[in-house]
Amino acid sequence: MSILIDENTKLIIQGITGREGTFHSERMLSYGTKVVAGVTPGKGGQDVFGVPVFDTVRQAGEATGANASVLFVPAKFTAEGAYEAIDAGIGLVITIAEHVPVHDMMGVYHLAKKSSSLVIGPNSFGVISPGKSKAGFMHDSIFTRGGVGIMSRSATNCYETVFLLTNEGIGQSTVIGIGGDMIPGSTFIDFLPMFGSDSQTKIIVMIGEIGGSDEEIAAGYIRSHINKPVIALIAGKNSPRGTSMGHAGAIVSADGTGSAENKEEKLRQSGVIIAESTEHIVQVIKEMQ
Amino acid sequence: MMSFGVMRKMKLLEYKGKELLKGCGIPIQKGVVVDSAKDVPGAIKDLKAPYVLKVQIMAGGRGKVGGIKFADTAEDAQKICSEMLGMKIKNIVVKKVLIAQKVDVLNEWYLSVILDRLNKCPMVIFSPLGGVDIEETAKTRPDKIAKSAINPLLGVKDYTARYIFKKYNLDNAYFEQFLVVLKNLYKLFNDYDATLLEINPLAITGGGELLAIDCKADIDDSSLYRHADILEFRESLDENELIVSARKFNFLYIPIDDSGDITVVSNGSGMLMSCIDLITKIGAKVGAALDLGGGATSDRIAEAVKIIFSNQKTKYLFISIFGGITRCDEVAAGVKLALQSGLKGKTIVIRLEGTNKAAALEILASIGDSVIPADSISDGVKKLKSRRND
Repeated sequence: MSILIDENTKLIIQGITGREGTFHSERMLSYGTKVVAGVTPGKGGQDVFGVPVFDTVRQAGEATGANASVLFVPAKFTAEGAYEAIDAGIGLVITIAEHVPVHDMMGVYHLAKKSSSLVIGPNSFGVISPGKSKAGFMHDSIFTRGGVGIMSRSATNCYETVFLLTNEGIGQSTVIGIGGDMIPGSTFIDFLPMFGSDSQTKIIVMIGEIGGSDEEIAAGYIRSHINKPVIALIAGKNSPRGTSMGHAGAIVSADGTGSAENKEEKLRQSGVIIAESTEHIVQVIKEMQ
Repeated sequence: MMSFGVMRKMKLLEYKGKELLKGCGIPIQKGVVVDSAKDVPGAIKDLKAPYVLKVQIMAGGRGKVGGIKFADTAEDAQKICSEMLGMKIKNIVVKKVLIAQKVDVLNEWYLSVILDRLNKCPMVIFSPLGGVDIEETAKTRPDKIAKSAINPLLGVKDYTARYIFKKYNLDNAYFEQFLVVLKNLYKLFNDYDATLLEINPLAITGGGELLAIDCKADIDDSSLYRHADILEFRESLDENELIVSARKFNFLYIPIDDSGDITVVSNGSGMLMSCIDLITKIGAKVGAALDLGGGATSDRIAEAVKIIFSNQKTKYLFISIFGGITRCDEVAAGVKLALQSGLKGKTIVIRLEGTNKAAALEILASIGDSVIPADSISDGVKKLKSRRND
């Protein structure tokens, strides 16, 4: 099965005529992704590697029946592009730009929650269901098809884990770049139910970091809903938190939420195996095979 | 200002934050900023004595360590100011002092708007017990802290203020003024892409006026392209030289622990944090980290290495690159280039994985024993440990 995307996913690439958009369109096409349309305002009627380009997402959706979109647009246009995709009823919207203003994402997040769209990113490498489809810019040669579902706030720690897994002959069902931003469109809690009910996924890996409470919230869900093994890595135990001079941060997180210790504790209580490093994740999975 | 992952934010000094408050109609004390004591008499001629002098540094809690003082006369103000400028508070050299008219304070409230990660929305925080002990109040008297999540599609409404006034039985005589402060603060929060705007204390003066006595402001770094005045403010700051030089090459340099002798380099914040965790485990201290971002060429790598070793405390460099966009041979060539420019007595542990790894290993082997190649992060950490123990 896999989750989010597969061989039937019809993908739009917003910003397809830009340098990055064009480069990665070719790579996605050669990986086997069904790229059905591109969107660049003012460039409607052109084509990129045979993919028709439209001026708006709505036109692209109406003409092709696309159900997912990946945004290769600069940070300052990401919110606008995401709004357009959500408004056009695209079910999965993946935003990859770094440095999207957090206030922009706040707007996207709240609009998406009132719609039927799932937004992933920003600052995400995308989503890949190995052997079926990829929507993003990840280095696809390190991925192989298999039974480990991975979601990660960090791209580098995720690549590292996938690389080591593949070297051990262990494949992945779907790998999701959540993105490390303060307001991600979706996070662990949004994907856990999907991985939980996906027949291809046998083991779930979550790679988190210090800050926020997404791991703590995930822990609460795992405890009562997930029957598959879950392995988690929390990076940043020894890194400075984004401390503020003001008091508001301390007031909001007075209960300790956000620290690596708190996250690990909550996850452990839910039966999650805590890994100390990316290598340790792979070792734990190897022992389960 | 520098932190890992999540978001980078620009912190504003008090005077700059207050400038923004004033600009959006929130009352502040009359005051001036000086960077030289000889300017004091001229600068304060329109202010009425007595005065309050506050050092302008990027750190909280300055009042408890001599960073805030009072003066009855202009002469005193000049004398205190000359003592303050150049002194070290919380390890930061004071370069600017804010001199303001001292006000008669009847009561201190706390008011802030913060970006709440949990609810992904702005949150208004109020306490009738404002002042320096607010964090203690949050722990011991949580009933004295009112948090109101704001729907960003709606914004702050009158009832948000009404709730606060009813909850704490505040004097209605201040309601209209409070509403203006709250709404303007919220507008400022949105207009300036703030992640924090804090007024503490929000004072009630003897004259019955609400006044912002201090202001902390954090602005989202990613939004600075649309805030020219904040960019200009950043230029005026006296920042860590290494941070500034790194930024010129689009690197992010993050000081971590002054006593550390290791700097960690990678092409993403997640792996940086992982490396720091593993290195800390062997009992070593990481002094700094540098994030290359994606696609670094040999020239840029060489610059990164030079910037890192320009910090004399750094003796060891730990590089871990998983080459996606970044090519391993470019990284190796960059390291060689930097070492050829004359770095002595330094050790570089380097772990490369990905595109053109074999070519990279050949280059590394040609450098000599100041460079130690590693097969994995854990192998690198092991080799770092044994070299340090030599």
